[in-house]
Order: sequence, then C-alpha cells, then structure tokens
Amino acid sequence: MAAADHILVIDDDQEICQLIADFFQKNGFQVTTSHNSKGLQEVLDRQKVDLIVLDLMLPDEDGLIVCRNLRSRSNLPVIILSARGEEMDRIIGLEMGADDYLPKPFHPRELLARVKSVLRRTRTSPEEMEDNDSHALYRFAGWTLDVPTRQLYTEKGEKIFLSGGEFALLRVFLNHPNRVLTRDQLLAFSHGREIEPYDRTIDMQISRLRRRLNDDPKSPELIKTVRSLGYVFSTRVERTDSKS
Amino acid sequence: METNTRLVVKVDQDLEDIAPGYLENRRKDVGLLSTALEQNDFNTVKMIGHRMKGSGAGYGFDFISETGSRIEQAAIARNTPIIRDCMDQLTDYLDSIEVIYV
Repeated sequence: MAAADHILVIDDDQEICQLIADFFQKNGFQVTTSHNSKGLQEVLDRQKVDLIVLDLMLPDEDGLIVCRNLRSRSNLPVIILSARGEEMDRIIGLEMGADDYLPKPFHPRELLARVKSVLRRTRTSPEEMEDNDSHALYRFAGWTLDVPTRQLYTEKGEKIFLSGGEFALLRVFLNHPNRVLTRDQLLAFSHGREIEPYDRTIDMQISRLRRRLNDDPKSPELIKTVRSLGYVFSTRVERTDSKS
Repeated sequence: METNTRLVVKVDQDLEDIAPGYLENRRKDVGLLSTALEQNDFNTVKMIGHRMKGSGAGYGFDFISETGSRIEQAAIARNTPIIRDCMDQLTDYLDSIEVIYV
C-alpha cells in the first residue's frame, strides 16, 4: 500500500493548522504543522514531505522569503496561503516559485483540490513516462541516450553499456532535469516500488551511473546530491522524438 | 442577549469534530478583545480580528470572517465604538447560531 502524501503546513494561526490537519487527515493525507519557518526546516531535515502549505505572515520570517529560499534548494511543491489577498502578493508569490496561491479565508475543500492538482502536476508516473518518451532521443552534456534502442553514446559516438537499472534511472533523470528527486521517487519511477528501510539500491545505482557518465562522485557535475532530500540531474536536456 | 431566532449555518461534516471548539474560541476572543480594549492594546485587537478574518469562512462561518475584517480595520483606525459593536454582534451570532453538518 502506498504511503499517504505528507503535507507540511506552516502557519502561525493554530486554528488554521488544525483546520487543514483535521480536514486533510480525514481525506487520507498525513499532515505535520509548524507555526514558524524554523519548524519548517526541522521537519524537512527529518521527514519526507510531498507538499508545503505556507502562510505568508509568519512570526519569524516573511513567507515569501521562505518560499524563495526553499525553491533555491528544492522542487518541493509549495502552495501559498495569505490573508493579504492582494493581486501583487499573488504574483510575487508565484514568481518566488510557489506552485499555487490561495487567499484566506479559504474553504478546505478548495485547498484539498488545489493540493491534489499540484501533486498531479509535479509528478509523472512511470506508466505516463513510458508512454511519453518511448521514442525519445535525449541529448545532455555531450551525451546521447536513444530510448528505443536503450543505447547511451558519448560525444564521439562510442556506445556505453548500461544495465537495465541504470538505464531506467537515467531515463527518470532525463524526464525530470533540474528537479530534486527523492530516493523514494527515484525508486518508484525507475523500479515501480517503494523504498524500504536501509534500502541503498538507489544510492548504489547512482554511484554506478555516475561512473558510466564520468561524473566525479566527489564533485559531481551531472548527478548532484541534495542533502536530506535526494538527487538532482543538473544539466540542460534536449529531447527529440525519433518517430518524427 | 436573549433571542428566539436561530441562525442555521451549514458546515462541512468533515469539520464536525473541530467546529464546536472553533466557535468556543470565538467566545474567548470576545473576552480577549474586551481586555485588550481596556488596555488600549489595538495591536492585539488587530491580530485577533486578522485571525478571525482568515479562519472563519474556512470553518464555514462567513460572518466571523466578515466581523474579523471589520475589527481589524477598526483597530487600525483605533475606533473603539466600532470594535465594541462588532463584539456585540459576534456575541449575538454565537448565541443564536445552530450548526448543521452536511
């Protein structure tokens, strides 16, 4: 059974936190609440979070700054809540990297719908990926991956052998460049299963894939480690469809 | 204030566990507002109004959000009579409300 999506709510108003927590838990979500930005980092350091609901008016830091800082180091979806409700706040919030914006007061059902929508948008299931890129040719950092033949080529056209797991993992990265992917997501997308305690499958495959791509593990340029979160494939990816 | 008129408000049944507590806290807010006004503490009045504005309609109580907004604005203007009027209206509302969960 898949784990419930974990929503982290940052709002200094305890009754807003309670409203969201109660409503979302009844609708199958796991919810953690915090009343300041310090609490946000503490939760992120110790738990996997799927989406953050962030109030703009926090006691210790402006929510817009929190959003910007968050976006600079992760792709975790963020929905901003604010009683300010001004159009400019909404625009700034979205420009700071928020995925959606909901003015207060809000109905929890509307927030629930938006959370589901953002989660859908920010995820691509392995099945969808299979449908979407089965004829793709990816080019990145001088490399070429031909998905139909499962061949990886160097800049000089030399073939590089990839195991099935390495191919699947690289394909996931190429589908989600410049986006932090957790170990759970990488395992789900590449192997279609959930991570288990002490499961090092992804870390070992990352290590092997880096070797294939000549990516120095001590100072990787392509597959970068994001502490406490996962990995990000950090390069520009071009995709063409070999069918067209 | 005695009233024979019941004001029926329909609230999402998923909020049945927490809506009564929310209304009870608004009664406490009336007391907090009264204390803050005695001390000319308009910052606290504004903060209470702001929170009522942000949360009331979320629980299904639009009147609380509207009243919170008026309290917040009156606190900014340091207008004690309007704040007291809002407190009276809020008390009447809490006395007359009948919640139906749908």
